[in-house]
Amino acid sequence: MSQTGDIVITVKDLKMGYDDKVLMENLNFQVRRGEVFVILGGSGCGKSTLLKHMIGLIPPMAGSVCFGQEDIVTVQGDERLKILREFGVMYQSGALFGSMTVLENVLLPLNEFTDLPMEAKNLVAMSKLQLVSMDAAAGKMPAELSGGMQKRAAIARAMSLDPGILFLDEPSAGLDPITSAGLDALINDLSGNLGITFVVVTHELPSIYTIADRVIMLDAKTKSIIGEGDPADLRDHSPNPWVRQFFNRQADEPKETSPTTKQ
Amino acid sequence: MSLAATESAASFELRSGDAGKTSIVLKGQFDAASTARVWRELEAALRHHPPSSLEVDASGIERSDGSGIALLHFLSMGAMATGVKATIKGLRPELDGLFQRFSESDYQKNLPQPPPHVNVAEHAGEATVQVWKDSKELLAFLGEAAAGTLSNLAHPKRMRWHEVRRIFEQAGVNALPIVSLISALVGLIIAFEAAAPFAMFGAQIFIANMLGIIMAREMAGLVTAIILAGRSGSAFAAELGTMKVNEEINALETLGLSPMRFLVVQRIVATTLLTPLLTVYAIVVSIAGGILVMMAMGFPLITIYHQMAQTLRVHDIAVGVGKGFIFGALIAGIGCLRGLQTKKGPSAVGESATRAVVSGILLIIIADAVVAVILYILHL
Repeated sequence: MSQTGDIVITVKDLKMGYDDKVLMENLNFQVRRGEVFVILGGSGCGKSTLLKHMIGLIPPMAGSVCFGQEDIVTVQGDERLKILREFGVMYQSGALFGSMTVLENVLLPLNEFTDLPMEAKNLVAMSKLQLVSMDAAAGKMPAELSGGMQKRAAIARAMSLDPGILFLDEPSAGLDPITSAGLDALINDLSGNLGITFVVVTHELPSIYTIADRVIMLDAKTKSIIGEGDPADLRDHSPNPWVRQFFNRQADEPKETSPTTKQ
Repeated sequence: MSLAATESAASFELRSGDAGKTSIVLKGQFDAASTARVWRELEAALRHHPPSSLEVDASGIERSDGSGIALLHFLSMGAMATGVKATIKGLRPELDGLFQRFSESDYQKNLPQPPPHVNVAEHAGEATVQVWKDSKELLAFLGEAAAGTLSNLAHPKRMRWHEVRRIFEQAGVNALPIVSLISALVGLIIAFEAAAPFAMFGAQIFIANMLGIIMAREMAGLVTAIILAGRSGSAFAAELGTMKVNEEINALETLGLSPMRFLVVQRIVATTLLTPLLTVYAIVVSIAGGILVMMAMGFPLITIYHQMAQTLRVHDIAVGVGKGFIFGALIAGIGCLRGLQTKKGPSAVGESATRAVVSGILLIIIADAVVAVILYILHL
């Protein structure tokens, strides 16, 4: 875990959902530079949807998501491009380009946005693949990789331009414990040493305790944030029984609140 | 800091000592833009002053992203000054952590090499083997599909008739507007194009004879089949291909259900039955299109009817409709085969759909030619 600094993302009065279905409303939180910010919640409560709102893929029903002073939804042109360059996003499915090799996937942003010599681009791309232990599969096509390998390659692609903020949607799901622990160490290292900000959606409790500086927990029934803060603190002292149940991995559902409803 | 950020101040100083001993001092902030410039300048400088040994003082690097670290590794591997490996000194601890994390030996071992050049003979050999494999798969599929269809027809409860009805509606009823439009236009165009040459002999009335025979025996069936191959053959391939990619086909097999009997037979039966019906419809619409042109030329409808009735026989229509059965089976069969042949990966489904259309149209034309030869021999 790292030292944290000034505010980079401000989510204000956000109302989100699909068509007429409201998933969450009145969401208010901030992400600080250099911190590892984790979004939690039951399956189908809207964690990934919130992530897509934060990166401007889905416009909110109401409210705003601001990077510094700029609203990601309304900002246009070069300013928008400048903000997007600060992002690296790893999607839940990996979303690698199927017609390119793993190395070509990682090289794509470098080829498009930098003027580096080819040797430099290869070195940068291979160093990112080494970080996620995927360099041996650099020449393979995404279809030849397992789900976990595709995710690791997608993380390497998200890091290729050394973005200031990395959004990771369930990075540890489907990974073996050793790789998963390695990924946690990498997140801590990049956050601690290089000051990269992470916004992570995950369910993995060991991972949450290892990487998270701060978490928010979403609840589908109340359509709001029901817990915010340090994960160990929430586990032991949250006034909400479902939050404690989540962190203590208990199966029985308390009567006060239910975890989620299906989307 | 982003690699693609605007250029930061980064510089280097090259100090050449006795007997080619060279030291480089790097200073400033290394991002993609500044590193790209320093990289090229440094490369040129070392080419002009080839070193015998190389030392890099990195203590002046204030900030660096992946590109700056890549520059240090390039020097350290001896790739910039050929064969002379640089010693890196003075790197800040946080950057040294990143530098040490990268394994140069793994990089050299794992960097993919460009694929070897394949000559024309190898290409031709591979293509021949592929055609041979494809033919074997097609033959096996034909056998399995025939056995599956017979088995389902013998046990009608297994057929999943609601699925047959759904395909009938999707591939047949929903195709009516496009079949109508294209058939009418084909009839109209053929009558229109024939008008001028026939007029040279004062034989415009015989357009009716030509129109009846050409549409009933050949064009209406062919147009319908090509529309179906593009519309439904590709849809079958995409549908089954997506199921293959999502492992739904595997799930069916592990449930003890044969994909052939569960998915393919319904599509073959429905398409084989609906293609002749669509062909009949296309014959009517295309002839109507031609008649419109003739009426515009001043021929009364009754004259056109009598002229057409003189030459158009029932067996001409039967030939067109009969070919519809063959075309329907081919379109559905090849669509399903290409779907089941789908490999892994997101582009695989698109490839299967394309192959289904190409193979479908090719097989339709070949089958049409074969039927034409057989009918000629049989004097039909």
